[in-house]
Amino acid sequence: MAEFLLEIGLEEIPASWLEGLAGQLKAQFETIAGRELLEPADLEIAWAPRRLALGARVVKKQKDREEEISGPPATIAKDKDGNWTVAATGFAKKMGVSVDQLIMPAAHGTAIGPGPHDIGKVTYLKKTAGRPAIDILPGVISTLLRSLAFPKRMNWDAWIDDGKGAFPFGRPIRWLVALLGGEVVPFTIYSAKDGARGEAVVVSGHATRGHRFLPRGQAGQSISVSSFSELEAKLASRYVILDPAEREARIQRTLVPQASRIRDDHGLPAEWRDLVEYPTVVFGTIPAEFRTLPTEVIETVLVHHQKYLPITNGSRSVDRFAAVVNTDDANAAEIVRGMERVVVARLRDAAFFFEEDLKRPLADRSSDLAGVTFHQKLGSYKDKTERMLRLIEEMGPKLGLLTKTEHEAAGEAAAVAKADLTTLMVREFPELQGAMGAIYLRAQGGSRGDVIHAVQWHYHPLSIEVGAAPAGELTGGEATIFGAVSIADKLDTLAGYFGLGLIPTGSSDPFGLRRAAQGVVRVLIDFWAAADGERRPSLRKLVAAAVAGQGSLSKRPPAEVIADLETFLLDRLRYVFVSRGYAADEVDAALGAREPDALDDPKECALRLAALKRVRAEAAEDFGHLAVAFKRAKNILSGAPQPVLDPALFEHDAERELHAVVTRLAGASGGYETRLRALATLRGPVDRFFDDVLVMAEDEHVRANRLGLLTQALALFYRVADVSRLA
Amino acid sequence: MKRPAKTTAKKVGATHASPLRTRRAARKPARGRVGAGLKPAPTTRVTPTPVRPRTLQDLVFALQTYWGARGCLIHQPWDGEVGAGTMHPETFLRVLGPKPWKVGYVQPSRRPADGRYGDNPNRLYKHQQFQVILKPPPVDIQDQYLGSLAALGIDPARHDVRFEEDNWESPTLGAWGIGWQVLLDGQEITQFTYFQQAGGIDLSPISGEITYGLERIAMYLQDVDNVYDLEWAPGVRYRDVRHEEEYQLSRYSFEQADAALHRDLFEKYLAEGWRLLEDPKKRSFLAAYDWCLKSSHAFNVLDARGAISVSERAGLILKIRKLACAVAAACVEHASAGPGEAAGSGPGTEAQRG
Repeated sequence: MAEFLLEIGLEEIPASWLEGLAGQLKAQFETIAGRELLEPADLEIAWAPRRLALGARVVKKQKDREEEISGPPATIAKDKDGNWTVAATGFAKKMGVSVDQLIMPAAHGTAIGPGPHDIGKVTYLKKTAGRPAIDILPGVISTLLRSLAFPKRMNWDAWIDDGKGAFPFGRPIRWLVALLGGEVVPFTIYSAKDGARGEAVVVSGHATRGHRFLPRGQAGQSISVSSFSELEAKLASRYVILDPAEREARIQRTLVPQASRIRDDHGLPAEWRDLVEYPTVVFGTIPAEFRTLPTEVIETVLVHHQKYLPITNGSRSVDRFAAVVNTDDANAAEIVRGMERVVVARLRDAAFFFEEDLKRPLADRSSDLAGVTFHQKLGSYKDKTERMLRLIEEMGPKLGLLTKTEHEAAGEAAAVAKADLTTLMVREFPELQGAMGAIYLRAQGGSRGDVIHAVQWHYHPLSIEVGAAPAGELTGGEATIFGAVSIADKLDTLAGYFGLGLIPTGSSDPFGLRRAAQGVVRVLIDFWAAADGERRPSLRKLVAAAVAGQGSLSKRPPAEVIADLETFLLDRLRYVFVSRGYAADEVDAALGAREPDALDDPKECALRLAALKRVRAEAAEDFGHLAVAFKRAKNILSGAPQPVLDPALFEHDAERELHAVVTRLAGASGGYETRLRALATLRGPVDRFFDDVLVMAEDEHVRANRLGLLTQALALFYRVADVSRLA
Repeated sequence: MKRPAKTTAKKVGATHASPLRTRRAARKPARGRVGAGLKPAPTTRVTPTPVRPRTLQDLVFALQTYWGARGCLIHQPWDGEVGAGTMHPETFLRVLGPKPWKVGYVQPSRRPADGRYGDNPNRLYKHQQFQVILKPPPVDIQDQYLGSLAALGIDPARHDVRFEEDNWESPTLGAWGIGWQVLLDGQEITQFTYFQQAGGIDLSPISGEITYGLERIAMYLQDVDNVYDLEWAPGVRYRDVRHEEEYQLSRYSFEQADAALHRDLFEKYLAEGWRLLEDPKKRSFLAAYDWCLKSSHAFNVLDARGAISVSERAGLILKIRKLACAVAAACVEHASAGPGEAAGSGPGTEAQRG
């Protein structure tokens, strides 16, 4: 065995791609080298913005191998005189050997040698000598490089002489270290000239490169390595930290003392890790005059634009920031001055926008929305706002989902929810949409708290976790008002795009429709607080209303759009449940329940699911049996439920027993858990029913009766969960 | 920290002696024997100049000298309204086809929607770019770029210089590329792009495009917070040169521009462009491109004026794009015309083969 080392030296690769690429490198090498019988083992990978590195142990030479190849049947291989026939000589010729190398099978069919034992066939034992790994690795490298998948590949006019020619890649490759046991594995990348091979541009060798600029005065010198560990060590001495874990640790070491002042790290430290080769964290200050800007604005400037980490002072306002640099801290002060200048320029802009925007009441801006496109074919945001208001109208008076106060508040919120899109601030910082609307309403006064909250949060929920925003931010009726505006917006978006036929595929969802649908689902199961006596929102009815609201904008028949959208929403509902840890079969069971079904009341479905999970865990065996039994029952009934039931026609005790239990349970009350536990007791009677009773009796009345009994038993479950899905 | 105004009258051009001392960093990569590995191209062994360009015009001279020394033809700005250096025929048309080319030029770039009446210290109706095209891109193109920073007295080792992912696209030109924004201590100073397509045509060879933001870099070098405080020439500020223009053009753009006129002109410019492309001699694509650029500027004026409705926008952009792509196709067709093409008549003359 020997160590194989590959370092691909590149121009800066997008940080978000690196980890995935390194993983691919490892997996692909294992497959490709394995296929070439190099027996790869002990693979290790590392990466930094300008390099992907792989180390592995492989054999120096493939093992010699033997393969038994079958030829013609023995019966036709020799003629009656014992001479080889044409069939045999032809086979030998094909194998490239003389006929006396062929092996006749033994009399009773026991063949000689390894390999498939084709009884009765002439065989040839093909011996292949193992080739040296150094001859095979160049081919492995080219296959490996070509196998890497990038979100975007670029043409850099490169060419590999492996028969495939043109070689696009993620970024141009500038150097390549390829060694086997310290010896160079020859590999060359050429330039592509006029569709053919040009001059060599990258030739494999021992040499890697360190940091671009450090150590000062000595950067740019060639560094020779012969192993993975030497690569790591020498690069470290040249200000390149190859191991991402070590880069991360270096970053965390500086941040830990600031931990109490970091409200939310926005995932930046993880991002920083792959942005630089030699991470050093520096700290800058935000001048006092800008600290009074809304925190969201400061955070957007720092985080989204600059990838700087906001740091608060004692009173929770942001007064400093942390940033990562790709150098040491020798000139930190000067660098930080530069960074502060950039931040201040943006904050100054923001302060200007803030002041200007406040001069005009937010509500006055609604008419300006006519100039902001939602979608070329779906009109402006003014059009969208009008559709949202109509949907809220449905929810209120028509469907009775909102109280009068809630309806008013939701309408007021929807009317201004999009108005901030016309402000200077949101035009400059689109991430602040929603949040700025609320900030301006608050600053200008005159709006109720629940309206402001609805505007602030209506783009949410953006993620599906139970604790994700706006969890904990809204109470009671506020949550319903927020929910109304949020759903109105999202359902209008969904109905609009579905009406145009722009439905997400497995690989493409450019309009974020999955997230929108998940948001709708989450509002209904996590936030909508229906007080006693209020009806819960029916997705079915709201979808119909949203689609109807599209009017002539839709290019497809409404019934089709509705059907597609319902399927899509159910699919997202399933996804949310599964993501929350529910077993897929339990989700299906809960979704299969009726009266109301999942589309009529998703919240009810959630309650059923939770109950089912708990009770099933307690009585797993019972449910297992019931599942099987009911699957059977469903099959027998095959969709033709029988209403008829005449106890006089019972012949067996098992029938009477089952009937008794079903009748008792039908009258039972209580929550889903109680009912499910009670239903679990059906196991015995159902098992005995199927054991003792022939359902498909000859007498049609008896048969119908038995089917009727099963229907009634099934019906008990349909109001909770379709237990047959657990089988 | 503002520099005191210079009172000594310096001869224009006298301060750029130092860039001439810079050693050419553009060495051809050594063609190593198999197994030897190519010697990595030297990273910026250029000694940072002790004297930074003191004025905006010195900055321009420094960049022109640096890239001129690397084989770039130093050209002049396009003499019509454009939004970026990319739109100059020296970029848009030169990147097409197989002929190598190297060029560098200043390009004042108009973005009507960015006008701020001369009040914003960072944003301008018209800013200046320095545009470099290297076709094909040399193996050490990044190092050559970093060498240019050193030639400006910016020692990358004393700063945080980073290449951060940023791809670039021009829907009106049917062009896009892959590359980075170069950050200097958090400030974006250059767009660095490998062109992949122009006029809807896949490029082969590709071109490296390096676009410097001159005002930004100058503000950094001169350590000023307000663009209007930049020293353009000794004793002359940016304000003296451009403030009034910024005010008037912003006002025109947001308040005075006649939308109906521009809408009419937009269509007429396109029509004239298409008419020229019908030339039976097939030698009018450069003339046609002129009109394509005019239509693009008309669109920008309409856009800043708020005169483009939501449903029209994509369609108008498509119209410009169609003409741009037709110009590109005509240009490629012409360049691939057989022998009989006079030297110097098309893009990519012998002198520029690099």
